[in-house]
Amino acid sequence: MPPRIGVLGAGAVGSRVARWLLELEPGAQVVLGGSDPERVAELVQALGSAAAAAGNGHLHDQGIDVLVIAAPCGRHVGPARRAIRAGVPMVSTSDRVEDIHSLRALTPRAENAAVTSLVGAGFAPGLSCLLAAQGSSGFDVVDEVHVAKAGTGGPACARQHHRALKGSARDWRDGAWIRRPGGSGRELVWFPEPVSGADCYRGALPDALLLQPFVPDAARITSRMAATRQDRFTSWLPMLSPPHPEGGVGAVRVEIRGRAGASSVVRILGAVERPAVGAGAVAALAALALWEGAAGPPGVRGLAGSVDARAALERLARHGLRAQEFDGIAPV
Amino acid sequence: MVRLLRRVLLAMSTAAAIAAVLRIRGAGGVPPQTGGWRELEIDD
Repeated sequence: MPPRIGVLGAGAVGSRVARWLLELEPGAQVVLGGSDPERVAELVQALGSAAAAAGNGHLHDQGIDVLVIAAPCGRHVGPARRAIRAGVPMVSTSDRVEDIHSLRALTPRAENAAVTSLVGAGFAPGLSCLLAAQGSSGFDVVDEVHVAKAGTGGPACARQHHRALKGSARDWRDGAWIRRPGGSGRELVWFPEPVSGADCYRGALPDALLLQPFVPDAARITSRMAATRQDRFTSWLPMLSPPHPEGGVGAVRVEIRGRAGASSVVRILGAVERPAVGAGAVAALAALALWEGAAGPPGVRGLAGSVDARAALERLARHGLRAQEFDGIAPV
Repeated sequence: MVRLLRRVLLAMSTAAAIAAVLRIRGAGGVPPQTGGWRELEIDD
């Protein structure tokens, strides 16, 4: 029987989640809900007979197998709690640190309800977690993981980018979390073409929070985001101009340092895509993994270690989202 | 007049020094000198 998957949110990411679900799993049915009924209706019309608009009431009450929450950050916890209570597995695309904390705190409820749920299933975190899991597969010991991302998806993502730059960063260092000011720690990061080099800064990003349980013995886990000097200078102000409907091409880069046998090894993996498209693909994959029962035991976790990264990246590559690896000497 | 000129020069020197510090501080990394990005071989 084909999956019936609910998607909450019809913005840049939600619409891509629905499209990816239908592309990755032909025959799937998508039930769309959101705060803008006109937009939901337009999307249902564009997707054809495989999609339907949610009726009255909550999305998780409409016979769905999995709920994907692709609403703006800050609006994920309520629907997630209700879905878990109803016994429906849930995927969240939020990249807001507070959301990730609150969603992971639902773990005891998920365990009691025997429900597996995945959080941080977007571009970064999300694709970054899959790349970290795949990249570290040949390591005996992972010492360091450093994540960087560039670009934004829709307007809600751009607003979150702005908030993150003035927020407090959490880095994992030598067995403890340390806080650093957002906008500090400028580092020139080389993403795959066409994004190429970009100055990246610390920010309130959840990648390290999600990766630390996967590599608990790592000494350092950090995340950074690309920003312009203007972004950094104006981060303490409200957004001076309304965000674009959707940003351009973005990128994610994951650097893993560790040991394999007696050798020190550095692997650098990356990917280039419009962030909303990449987030939609990863969230759709996560939803299908939950439907297939291939996302681990009950609980609320990130993607690294929960889904088969190799199979996920292979599946994405077959549909045009190809991961890349930097082959050469990493700058020290 | 001389006093004003001194103050202007002092302000400009201070601004230049601060700009230099900000410019240099945190400049981590250099462009990759060799290699490049290629498609990830998942069969490895």
